[in-house]
Amino acid sequence: MDLLRSEPMQLVQLIIPIEAAHRSISYLGDLALFQFKDLNENKSPFQQTYASQVKRCGEMTRTLRLFKEQMMKAGISPPTRSTKDSGLDLEKLEVKLKELEAELLEINANNEKLQHTYNELVEYKLVLEKVGEFFSSAQNNAVARQRELEVQPIVETSIDSPLLMEQDATCPIKHIKLGFISGLVSREKSIPFERILFRATRGNVFLKQAIVDHHVQDPLSGDKVHKNVFVIFYSGERVKSKIIKICDAFGANRYPFSDELGKQFQMMTEVSGRIAELKTTIDAGLLHRSTLLQKIGYQFESWNLLLKKEKSIYRILNMLNINVTKKCLLAEGWCPISAARQIQKVLLQATMECNSQVGTIFQVLQTKELPPTYFYTNNFTCSFQEIVDAYGIAKYQEANPGVYTIITFPFLFAVMFGDWGHGICLLLVTLYFIINENKISSQKLGDILEMVFGGRYIIMMMALFSIYTGLIYNEFFSIPFELFGPTAYGCRDPSCRDSTTIGLIKVRDTYPFGVDPKWHGTRSELPFLNSLKMKMSILLGVSQMNLGIILSYYNAKYFGNNINIWHQFVPQMIFLNSLFGYLSVLIIVKWCTGSQADLYHVMIYMFLSPTDDLGENQLFVGQKFFQVTLLLLALIAVPWMLLPKPFLLKKQHEERHKGQSYSLLYSGEDPLESESNSIHLDHKEFEFSEIFVHQLIHTIEFVLGAVSNTASYLRLWALSLAHSELSSVFYDKVLLLAWGYNNTIVLIVGIIVFICATVGVLLVMESLSAFLHALRLHWVEFQNKFYEGDGYKFSPFSFTSLTDEDGI
Amino acid sequence: MGFVVTSLIFLLIGIIASLSTRIFFNKGPSANLFHLTLVLTSTTCCWMMWAIVYLAQMNPLIVPILSGE
Repeated sequence: MDLLRSEPMQLVQLIIPIEAAHRSISYLGDLALFQFKDLNENKSPFQQTYASQVKRCGEMTRTLRLFKEQMMKAGISPPTRSTKDSGLDLEKLEVKLKELEAELLEINANNEKLQHTYNELVEYKLVLEKVGEFFSSAQNNAVARQRELEVQPIVETSIDSPLLMEQDATCPIKHIKLGFISGLVSREKSIPFERILFRATRGNVFLKQAIVDHHVQDPLSGDKVHKNVFVIFYSGERVKSKIIKICDAFGANRYPFSDELGKQFQMMTEVSGRIAELKTTIDAGLLHRSTLLQKIGYQFESWNLLLKKEKSIYRILNMLNINVTKKCLLAEGWCPISAARQIQKVLLQATMECNSQVGTIFQVLQTKELPPTYFYTNNFTCSFQEIVDAYGIAKYQEANPGVYTIITFPFLFAVMFGDWGHGICLLLVTLYFIINENKISSQKLGDILEMVFGGRYIIMMMALFSIYTGLIYNEFFSIPFELFGPTAYGCRDPSCRDSTTIGLIKVRDTYPFGVDPKWHGTRSELPFLNSLKMKMSILLGVSQMNLGIILSYYNAKYFGNNINIWHQFVPQMIFLNSLFGYLSVLIIVKWCTGSQADLYHVMIYMFLSPTDDLGENQLFVGQKFFQVTLLLLALIAVPWMLLPKPFLLKKQHEERHKGQSYSLLYSGEDPLESESNSIHLDHKEFEFSEIFVHQLIHTIEFVLGAVSNTASYLRLWALSLAHSELSSVFYDKVLLLAWGYNNTIVLIVGIIVFICATVGVLLVMESLSAFLHALRLHWVEFQNKFYEGDGYKFSPFSFTSLTDEDGI
Repeated sequence: MGFVVTSLIFLLIGIIASLSTRIFFNKGPSANLFHLTLVLTSTTCCWMMWAIVYLAQMNPLIVPILSGE
């Protein structure tokens, strides 16, 4: 059967001529059916044959990453769909990437230099403006003051230096030349700047600051900061050097300023001119860069893909052994037996294309190693197989629970979810995903949506089964319908007096499909449904566990393990069925006969006092004798599971082992050596105490597990009760309450609350909850009866499985 | 009687479903066996659930007691 056991795998040795190596690996990567074994595990990365190639690929990856960063910064996003294959191979790509990188770096450096100069000029212009304003306003003041004071103008100094004049006017004794320094300082630092200047020069400087309104781009750091223009007046050389040092410490840029008006004007025009020039140059540079980046962007994805492919090919080539003559490579790996022909064809094609003189040799090796497990899955079965694999990958060729999980998992979910209204909602959502499969699979979705989309077939099955169980539980958003015929219950007499005290009676045939609609809203609804659902859970649970044990039989038969059949399968079946199978039978008999027997009482007293008379609890003739027999069978089954197997295994090992030691003697080897070998084997392979303890644990696990796993299935009842109660509360207490007010607004609010609660609590939270519990029932209660799950997955070398870690 | 009749209906539906998967999705013997397993498992599960609920209502020990609203 298709999915039941792993595909048969074989270990294959390939001898590839070296000129065809690269192409063969590339074709094998496209085919995705060969898993390479790493033959060079012990070698360090430097000793590997193709280490230099890998390094080159690494270099190119770094270059591509640089390009991507630059593109991000410039705001160009590369198109995600790769363009046609540019037909480049690795060497040409390397050369091209180097060229482009050099060009890009050059453009960037030039741009930076120009930008630096531009920023300086902008700052200089600001200084010119502000200080010029300041000087001109001071000049106006001085002129006004002069007119006021009627001081005689001094011939040497012109009207342009009013401050000096003022200085002279107020202190005619000292003819000290005042110097000034002008520049820009960032606004945050302006106050400490002022303070330190004041302290350092003992208050002998005059500082005037003017705010610049807009941001200025600092030439050194490139950030946009608020700055202030300052002018510092000082006298003396030492003070000057101090001020210069303080300016440098604060990162305040100094710019020269002349106090003559004519020169100011000239500087202004010059600077403006240069700024305009530089701006055009910078813009041209940026344009050039963006065209270059766009050109890169078109081809980026295809280069990226090529690089990823090449890197993975070289990684694989490094795993192969190069033989002494350096003419061919040795590869070992696993492939499915059914794919052998395809692989051979592809290898032949590669060698033909490379015009090599010999073809690749394809040789099957015999080995005792455990092969990887491989299942052919399609879109539908893939998601179910994944949830089985999440617990453990099947050992090679053991029965895969995935076959049954495809049906039983959605079924158990539905038993816990059972409402056909909610089922229809789920179905609509998942149908949307399935119909738009192709479109959505190419988009990038968020994490949660990705998981929901990946599990769309699981959810579809869950929805379909939920509709079925919803019809059986007769719940449509907790409202029952009489779809399948009249209800079976009616009044005892025409006046219906007793309906609220003793209740109705069954007047017609049983309601043909599902739970009778009359039950909803009655006072005895919960006792009836609880009893029904608990018994249903036990019956479903016992069936699933029996299925698990039967699968272990098929496993034992397939592997030819007779011991397991007779001393594991048979006693397990006897034990489980004589206790819980019998309980299931009792449940069915009680339902069929309508007896009032108390099953708890029956089961407990079957153990406590089996020989007692059953009295009222008798369900069929000969029950007492039957129960005693079953009890004895169960009691025998326990030591049957525990004792024979370790002894039989020991005997088996000794027989095998005895034969071996005889053959070693005959081959003429040293008898002492052979003895030590056999003792060594004994210690490695067979420790009786270990096997015995293992079997003891296994037996205890099964015996106790029989009780606990059966009880665990009661979660089917618990969750189904929770779901129907929640749904009923939302309906009765939200929707009907809102309806009762006869007010449109209240009704609309009520409907909105009802929809939000249904979607949030019932559709999302309950689904997750039921999903989780159904999963747990499969992973633990079903699979621990037969599943070993300690294999490893077949992971062929494939280009489609390249992750982003390989590239960028 | 209703139990046997409806069980036979389930059986019939199961047979029809198996035959139609064989006709419409014939993909070789091992794939056919797989599809058959799926159809049989789902039919059995559905029948079991229906049968349990039907049997539980055949001879009821508890009857509906209306809440009197």
